[in-house]
Amino acid sequence: MEFLKSLFPPELSPGFLSLALSASWQTLAYAVAGITLAVLVGFPMGVISSGSVSASPRTGFGLAVAARFILAAMRSIHELVWAVLFVAAFGLSSLTVILALALPYGGILGRIYGELLQQVPEGPLRALRASGASPFRVLLYGRLPMALPDMMGYTFYRLECAIRSAAIMSFVGIRGLGYEIQLSLNDLLFDQVWTLLLFMVGMVVLVDLWSTRVRRSLVS
Amino acid sequence: MIQSAPTSQVSQVRRRPMTFARASLYAFVVLALVSWGYILLATDSGAPDVVSAKTWSNAGNFVQQLIGVESSNRPAYLEVDRWLATGRLALNTLAMSVLAIVLTGIAVLPTFLPGARNVSNGDLGGVPSRPGAVLYHAVRLVFTLTRAVPELVWAMVIVFFLSPGILPGAVALAVHNYGVVGRLSAEVVENLEPGPARALRAAGASNLQMLLYSIFPQALPHFLTYLLYRWEVIIRTTVVVGFVSAGGLGREFRLSLSFFHYTDLALLIMWYLILVIGVDLLSAWLRRVVTRGG
Repeated sequence: MEFLKSLFPPELSPGFLSLALSASWQTLAYAVAGITLAVLVGFPMGVISSGSVSASPRTGFGLAVAARFILAAMRSIHELVWAVLFVAAFGLSSLTVILALALPYGGILGRIYGELLQQVPEGPLRALRASGASPFRVLLYGRLPMALPDMMGYTFYRLECAIRSAAIMSFVGIRGLGYEIQLSLNDLLFDQVWTLLLFMVGMVVLVDLWSTRVRRSLVS
Repeated sequence: MIQSAPTSQVSQVRRRPMTFARASLYAFVVLALVSWGYILLATDSGAPDVVSAKTWSNAGNFVQQLIGVESSNRPAYLEVDRWLATGRLALNTLAMSVLAIVLTGIAVLPTFLPGARNVSNGDLGGVPSRPGAVLYHAVRLVFTLTRAVPELVWAMVIVFFLSPGILPGAVALAVHNYGVVGRLSAEVVENLEPGPARALRAAGASNLQMLLYSIFPQALPHFLTYLLYRWEVIIRTTVVVGFVSAGGLGREFRLSLSFFHYTDLALLIMWYLILVIGVDLLSAWLRRVVTRGG
């Protein structure tokens, strides 16, 4: 009860609000950087795991199995566990943390990209093949354009999750919303915790609205 | 949306829907460039370390210490009693994830129907009511608030109330996943075929009967599927939540790391992977059972 009472009112002094704002920006920057790296890793892996890169079906299948195995390994470990291990191995820096974010996100993006590339309708692909297109051309002019809207929609959806993941990277010592929440909790300044949580919710809601609109505009 | 008649079907399909999405794509590229610029220029990015030989030899040392090649002791992952001792922690972690998913399920079950717009506004043949609308917005707000805050932050807050152990971790996981599964389940109800519900309604069923005999059974398999999917996410997160709530493998993970017991750490990572793979397989099997038999 004491705790609930101490939540109100949230700390709203201009100084603290600007601190919360800059912490939110830091968290957003880490999330966006992590997602871009994850796309760069996940896209080629996804294309390979769709099994459509090689002229010989057997090579394509072998590569696809290998790629799927690597993707599964990447996403089987939580981003914060990667971060703890990487910090022990490489030392603490923002690139270490971004790499830790990008691995599991690259794993999930690669898996979904691969599935989306496989789910495209066969008709146009058959037409391309009949006109003598190589497997690479079929991929470039057939599969990719058809799957791209869904791939983009899913990536935007993951951006929202990445914000949460970036916030908890404070645990290894990276600045941002999670870091400030931890500091305020340690000092038992619950009014500040409350303000920071509201910023967290606000940012997630904004990104969620954005990504929902993107997805709606892609399917309509 | 009003639009002029398209001259050709193809150009309509290709051009029209991309506008907002394309603008968002450009906006995202700009955001990405600014973010990378900020990280490389304004934070301690560690970019120079990437090319320094010292970083890589340190990383190599760390891997060697994980395997335990340089230590005179036998690595922990070759000792049966270490496997057994940490196995108990792995069981605790598994119990924590099951408790979390059960708590999530129990909390979502009574709330996802009022959280669906078509239930509250009478689209399914019910009567729209003011309390129903208020309840809808309240439930949705709670979904949003619980979902937006990550599990680890919930855990940091919750350890202030509950004594350390399995419970605070499970509660923290359940609070976040309540928002995730609740929203997904409510959206399932919103996308349901309204036919069966309206038919029941026309046959004179009450509001409650309609929900119980039509909407609920239609939504249940989806709800269970989402819950099982979330279990796979939760088992990966239990270790992380255990860092602060002191339950299961997470606590030991943190201790081994701070005492430089690196072969213990390797053993804990092995248990972690066993749990993740085991739960993934079990969940995939259960999902097949749910969708097949129902």
